[in-house]
Amino acid sequence: MRTLSAVRAWAADVAAGWNRFWFQPTDPATLGLIRICAGAMLFYTHLVWSLDLAAFFGPRGWLPREAVRLLQKDTYAWSYFWWLESPAALWTAHVAALIVFAMLTVGLYSRVVSVLALVATLSYIGRAQGALFGLDQINALLAMYLVVGPCGDAFSLDRWLKSRKTGAPLPVRPSWSANLAIRLIQIHMCIIYLFAGTAKLTGPAWWDGTAMWMALGNLEYQSLDMTWMADWPRLINAMTHITVYWEIFYCALIWPRLSRPVMLLLAIPLHMGIAICLGMVTFGLIMLVGNLAFVPPEFIRTLWPFKDAGQGRAGDPAPARAVPTRAARTATQSAGPKR
Amino acid sequence: MSTIAPSPVLPQQPRAAVRIVVSALVGFHVLAVFIGPFAMPPGTSQLASSCAWLFQPYVESLCLANGYRFFAPEPGPSHLVRYEITLPDGTQKDGAFPDRQQHLPRLLYHRYFMLSEFVNTIDSADAPDGPGRVYAKAYAQHLADEYQAQTVKLYLRRHYVPRMTEVHQGLRLSDKALYEERPLFSLSTEKNPDADP
Repeated sequence: MRTLSAVRAWAADVAAGWNRFWFQPTDPATLGLIRICAGAMLFYTHLVWSLDLAAFFGPRGWLPREAVRLLQKDTYAWSYFWWLESPAALWTAHVAALIVFAMLTVGLYSRVVSVLALVATLSYIGRAQGALFGLDQINALLAMYLVVGPCGDAFSLDRWLKSRKTGAPLPVRPSWSANLAIRLIQIHMCIIYLFAGTAKLTGPAWWDGTAMWMALGNLEYQSLDMTWMADWPRLINAMTHITVYWEIFYCALIWPRLSRPVMLLLAIPLHMGIAICLGMVTFGLIMLVGNLAFVPPEFIRTLWPFKDAGQGRAGDPAPARAVPTRAARTATQSAGPKR
Repeated sequence: MSTIAPSPVLPQQPRAAVRIVVSALVGFHVLAVFIGPFAMPPGTSQLASSCAWLFQPYVESLCLANGYRFFAPEPGPSHLVRYEITLPDGTQKDGAFPDRQQHLPRLLYHRYFMLSEFVNTIDSADAPDGPGRVYAKAYAQHLADEYQAQTVKLYLRRHYVPRMTEVHQGLRLSDKALYEERPLFSLSTEKNPDADP
């Protein structure tokens, strides 16, 4: 009997923990910041396609239908670009996608454009198989989770317009779906790093400590000459080992409050190193954007340069605001011209 | 002025029914996110393959079928595609992609870099009609269209990374000894449109 009640108490604890983890409402500030960063990256990523749009997406380009379709045979990969063959249709769809990404960045009609942004992102990926890399994968996952939560509920034009309409600053509205979106990004980042780390364990260079040199000494990747590091093999060894262990243990050490700041701080040199030395600024930055999911909204609010009066801490009740009564409004309106 | 203070809105978890449905969806999704890299070949267990089959429509339609094996198993040599083009007036034109000078900004360069890396990844001498050959033919055809060329010859250049000690002793990353080249595809727009190299 005692065992049964202990099991029941444990199950109740687990259920409460599960609910707290996934459904505890949170300030959407973190999601709002991720929307801005991911939206800007989506915009830039796709803007660059403009420089060679027909060459990559046109019927006679580097990646013609028969080549891509051969690889995608018996898969569920999809893209609306298969219906767009003429240059006019291609460019119309492309400009429309750029507008969607721009609107997502500034947070205008966020809920609608987040869905459109996901559709567009997946379509480019489904069509350009052969020219893709890690950036596209992270772009897609962030676009996907921006659909889940109210990404326009913080730091957005939507919010600014709403505030202007009501004539008063809007209180922070904690949301469980904002928490859900953030949690999904967190879990996804953990899975990415786990597989990135464990896959490296099969490579001898990650064990003998020379893998980082093989990346830095690759001329095609190189954007900053780091060959001087050939004189510092132990430094190369240390960077290699830290990278592997950081990736493998990320999924465990990112959760405790004690180790989380350390893991996040280590993410900066790791990904900025990729950005600056290996010429993958976009990839390095988007990985850091993914890591933003672990930054608490309170911290983000302290960094946000535009202070919005009436905003409280995540989880706080909305502050009471003055709403004039009808009589008071009439008195105010008849008092004189509007400023 | 008299005011009305609205009652504070306390943050609440969703109703139990919503939590149960969303929990089930979350469980499915997280499993799918895990299955994507877990079942990514090479080195896939039978269990992983079976799971991948179950999740395939969801994983593939949402671009979750990724290995996330960045620089794994280890950063190897890079691959470029070099081309030789014969124009209708008989003049020769050489080039390669990716090309730092031509492909700007860096992200565009990286797109071209992925084209050359991709053809190396999928090209196989054992599969003469495989995707590697189809992609190589597509590259050659695109160049032929772009330059109105009579012939296009593609070569895959492998650029090895020197050891630290070699660079320490003065070897440059661009040293010719570090390059290895093999024919990739040959295309003639005159008679035989896709003659073998």
